Amino acid sequence: MAALMPVVPLISLQGVHKQYPNGTVALRDVTLVVPKQDFVFLVGPSGAGKSTLVRLLIREEKVTAGKIHVEGQDLSRLKRRHLPFLRRKIGMVFQDFKLLPNLTVFQNVAFALRVTEGALRHLKPKVEEVLSIVGLEGKENKFPDQLSGGEQQRVAIARALVHDPKIFLADEPTGNLDPATSWEIIQLLLQINARGTTVLMATHNREIVDVMRRRVVAIEGGQIVRDEDAGGYHAPALESR
Amino acid sequence: MHRLWNRVDFAFSSAWQNFWRNAAVSIASVLIVWVVLLALGSLLLVLHSLDQIVALEKTKASAISVYLADTTPLSSAMDFKLHLENDPRVTAVTYVSKDQAMARFRQLPALDPSVIDTLGTNPLPASLDVTVRDIRDLGAIDQAVRNSPLVDRSPATNYEPNVIDKIILLARVAGIAGLVLIVGLTGLSVFIIMLTIRTAIYLRRKEIEVMKLVGATDWFVRWPFIVEGLFVGVVGAVVAVLIVGFGYRPAVVNLQSVLIFVPLSFDQYYLRLVLAAMLGFGLLLGSVGSYLGVRRFLKQ
Ligand SMILES: Nc1ncnc2c1ncn2[C@@H]1O[C@H](COP(=O)(O)OP(=O)(O)O)[C@@H](O)[C@H]1O
Ligand SMILES: [Mg+2]
Repeated sequence: MAALMPVVPLISLQGVHKQYPNGTVALRDVTLVVPKQDFVFLVGPSGAGKSTLVRLLIREEKVTAGKIHVEGQDLSRLKRRHLPFLRRKIGMVFQDFKLLPNLTVFQNVAFALRVTEGALRHLKPKVEEVLSIVGLEGKENKFPDQLSGGEQQRVAIARALVHDPKIFLADEPTGNLDPATSWEIIQLLLQINARGTTVLMATHNREIVDVMRRRVVAIEGGQIVRDEDAGGYHAPALESR
Repeated sequence: MHRLWNRVDFAFSSAWQNFWRNAAVSIASVLIVWVVLLALGSLLLVLHSLDQIVALEKTKASAISVYLADTTPLSSAMDFKLHLENDPRVTAVTYVSKDQAMARFRQLPALDPSVIDTLGTNPLPASLDVTVRDIRDLGAIDQAVRNSPLVDRSPATNYEPNVIDKIILLARVAGIAGLVLIVGLTGLSVFIIMLTIRTAIYLRRKEIEVMKLVGATDWFVRWPFIVEGLFVGVVGAVVAVLIVGFGYRPAVVNLQSVLIFVPLSFDQYYLRLVLAAMLGFGLLLGSVGSYLGVRRFLKQ
């Protein structure tokens, strides 16, 4: 397996510490390597540091110590004016969808292209393409409040896909959804992964992780307590609590 | 081209929406800009008029008109003229007859000729216009001629030692008061524009969050707010420019008819400068206000 790993991993964290200005230590000595096209579940109880890790990856926060590389690029050396271009490489969805309520489905997705100065000519075909990937054809003119939770998350996923991201980050994407809908969203993420995008999904939802035979990275108290290639959520470290 | 157009289109349509979304605050900031620029324009024009008056008074300053009583025969007047010409302090003396005085009077810009014709007999005195080597001697000449029996009594001369000083003082006081007022209003308007922009940013916080998330550049996020600030500045300026531009000539004409002897004139060229300055200042207020509004709040 090691021989097949790419020379430069897509994402690597080395000895990452994160302390917030109020003194809370959210991550301690986290080392993690994610190769291209991987699918990783980041699991752990609430407060474990999952969201912090995700925020470090899009550099919404900076590390206190240690190094993060994305595509070989050192994020702590990334200049502020280059930050938008990192974000365009990373698609990101959240528990609360972050859709704009006064825009239609089409406009919400197109917004991501418009504000990154995508040429208006190519806007419509691209939006239609990502909406068909997430299975929302025919809902282009609906407003977010006319959609179910699952459909809203699909819009957010479509929006995250318009820049053909290399990395897809999902922070508790199923946190607001019922189990059946959650399952559909996971299927969609697997499909996105199958198209060649590296996916990292943070969740505290055991059931989902248990049935998937995928890589699981477990964090607790800001530290990685387990990293298994195809395991469930039943780790000795977590069960002994 | 498409990208540039997209950027411009996005900035302008967002700015327009921002403006109307918090219309009350936006209109308040337009009003304050308007007041500042109106004050600025008026002050510049008033100071300019005072300047004109001072300049004219200064050219007159080395001369004094000695008014002759209507009973004075021409021969006595000529003797008096010779007497004055022999004074070492005097450089020249000109005799101005009653008719010449009337002709000069008719030249005054704002005087209605029909009013003069209703006067019947010519009320203006003949005069000796005395030019001196040194303006400081004017007072002594005035004293010397004042009590001559040939000289009219009401008034004896046009000697007004303090008039220039008074006008200069008036200009200085008006200038300082106006400046203080404008500086205060400028601060206030920049502050209100800043508040307007911050309100707009607050109302758009969700959009801004998404924009940053999907990789919009800082400037792409900022432009709509800068444009909104400039828009406030321009609208306030245009209204003020229209009022001053169309109001200046009627104001001058009205004042001329009230202050007949004050040499006030309409200066088209200077007016254009003032209007350009107002527009420029409006843009400056808008851009400084919106820059301050945007600066702190869009840092993450
Ligand atoms: N902005 C912040 N400022 C201070 N402390 C924070 C901040 N965000 C998160 N934390 C703290 O950091 C720890 C990890 O939080 P988080 O990364 O959100 O965990 P998770 O996503 O796994 O629930 C928690 O103790 C949390 O209270
Ligand atoms: Mg979280």
